Amino acid sequence: MFRRSFSALFAFVSLVTLVSFVALPAGSAAANNGEIRGRVEVRRVVTSMERRPGVADLGTPRGRSMPDLRRSVVYLESAPRGAFEPSEAGRAVMDQRNETFVPHVLAITTGTTVDFPNSDKFYHNVFSLSKTKPFDLGRYATGNSRPVRFDRPGIVRVFCDIHSHMSAFILVFSHPFFALTDAEGRYRIENVPPGTYGVIAWNEGTPSDAKAVTVPDRGVVELDFTVR
Amino acid sequence: MLLVCLAGSAGGQTLPSEPISMAGGRVTLGGDVSATFGDRDPGFFTFTDYAHSAIRMLRIDLSGSVRAGPHFTLLGEIRNENFGPVRPYALYLRIRPWTARNFDIQVGRVPPTFGAFSRRTYAGDNPLIGYPLAYQYMTTMRADALAADVDELLRKRSLGWLFRYSVGQPAAGGGLSLVSAFRWDTGVQLHATAGMLSATASVTAGTVSNPLFRDDNSGRQMAGRVELRPVAGLVVGASLARGPFLGRAAARAALGDVVDGHDKEFTQTAWGGDVEYSRDHYLLRLETVGSAWRLPAVRTPALPQPLRALSTAVEGRYKLRPGLYAAARLDHLGFSEVVGTRETLPWDAPVSRAEVGVGYSLQRNLLLKLSYQYNRRYGGVLKRRAPLAAGQLVFWF
Repeated sequence: MFRRSFSALFAFVSLVTLVSFVALPAGSAAANNGEIRGRVEVRRVVTSMERRPGVADLGTPRGRSMPDLRRSVVYLESAPRGAFEPSEAGRAVMDQRNETFVPHVLAITTGTTVDFPNSDKFYHNVFSLSKTKPFDLGRYATGNSRPVRFDRPGIVRVFCDIHSHMSAFILVFSHPFFALTDAEGRYRIENVPPGTYGVIAWNEGTPSDAKAVTVPDRGVVELDFTVR
Repeated sequence: MLLVCLAGSAGGQTLPSEPISMAGGRVTLGGDVSATFGDRDPGFFTFTDYAHSAIRMLRIDLSGSVRAGPHFTLLGEIRNENFGPVRPYALYLRIRPWTARNFDIQVGRVPPTFGAFSRRTYAGDNPLIGYPLAYQYMTTMRADALAADVDELLRKRSLGWLFRYSVGQPAAGGGLSLVSAFRWDTGVQLHATAGMLSATASVTAGTVSNPLFRDDNSGRQMAGRVELRPVAGLVVGASLARGPFLGRAAARAALGDVVDGHDKEFTQTAWGGDVEYSRDHYLLRLETVGSAWRLPAVRTPALPQPLRALSTAVEGRYKLRPGLYAAARLDHLGFSEVVGTRETLPWDAPVSRAEVGVGYSLQRNLLLKLSYQYNRRYGGVLKRRAPLAAGQLVFWF
């Protein structure tokens, strides 16, 4: 568990702090950009966080939705220099619904503001103790939402202070070359300038080894991953 | 060390925080460990029984649930304090007869029906280190022994940690709190929820002061609780419990064989009211517990019927910033007056406690608490004032 966490964090720290600047070829333009796509297969057993036994409860706890833990994030370990130019601040949503964060994994760029609406009829208390972005939104009722802006790259683990089984990940990137897999594990990173990159797939705190890939002019590269 | 720094900078959560789950989630194991170290307490304000002070304790709880289909769940918990014997704290079967209805039956050593704090006794749920007086403070009330008259009762004021009475069990022992936070009762419990209202009723072997595994007198305790949640963040609760309190042996020692069949007349009746309101970064709680015990009159000046006690605690918590909060509790426990040969006094020495503290989450499930409490006792022979400082480290999964 610890080893897995550390390797995941180490890989991400590599991304955050050791990003290499790949010089763009002279005269390159967005029109020449290519695409990386493929599939991520999660082979390890992924189980959602269970409720604690709740021995002191007077009855059966409420039913809840189960988070989709098979979604992965695929990202470039190194990114083109131009990728770090400031871009327009984005907006994303992480809902609290049926005692679950929806989506369970959010991948955003720095400067993005994430809204945390409460869609349940009872309180939640979203918080994170991550160094990347510590925050505590307090308790608020259904229909209300509170925003958090993420200005630094890193992994942010999100929890609910009231419901210990609620957790989520927000991956904050300093470049736009990442993609979230769909329900079948497919992903597509578009508009990648031609060049050679390391690509990593990440699932629930576990990263794959980086795979080297060369993106040709206007080309499409197929790259599959297995996360164990 | 380098890795820890990197971990902190990236994720902030290196300890596993999820419960252990097996058999596709049907078996779940959780744990709570709290290590508390505080000042010596020569006034015995913080003792929970003869051997244990709440501010000098290592407690390990392991709890588990086994779900056998949609209708049955077996739940249990074992507890160890200061490396003493491992004790079963809870073991019961939860039955949900209709999966679509919020109605449950719990049978066995069940969670307390009475009160609000009684189900929040885990260190992770308690914003401070000390407990509310109603749930922890050892009064001079015992279920296995009693004072022969008011004068004897008054001589024991403040000695709830360890004392003896002349009627019933002759050995010295500890007194009981108004409601026990440290033992669960055995019996059957029904719980239903409909909209903003939930209701719980139970029939158990002991009473709220003295939960039992096996009954020691002729009757059962009936307890009920209703909880209303009119808006998010507001919980209003009311509890009532009544049951035979005095053990059969003590009743017989007081009244002889004539007591047979009548020992259930020596009851504990408890009532409680509680309010909780939370919003944004603050949380406020108020809880009042009253108790009345009926004991046999052995000789004059006879014990009045009943002996009463009333406790009120108000507590608040405010989150100062992510992972850091401040909390405070004010608490008072008073007793009804009795008339002795020479003086009229509360039957036990009233106690007040003010506690303030902070909690800092080193990780999501690793909490460091520091607290300072000032205890004051109004009468009795033991030390009457006790400022006590304590620290507590709490880990749960």
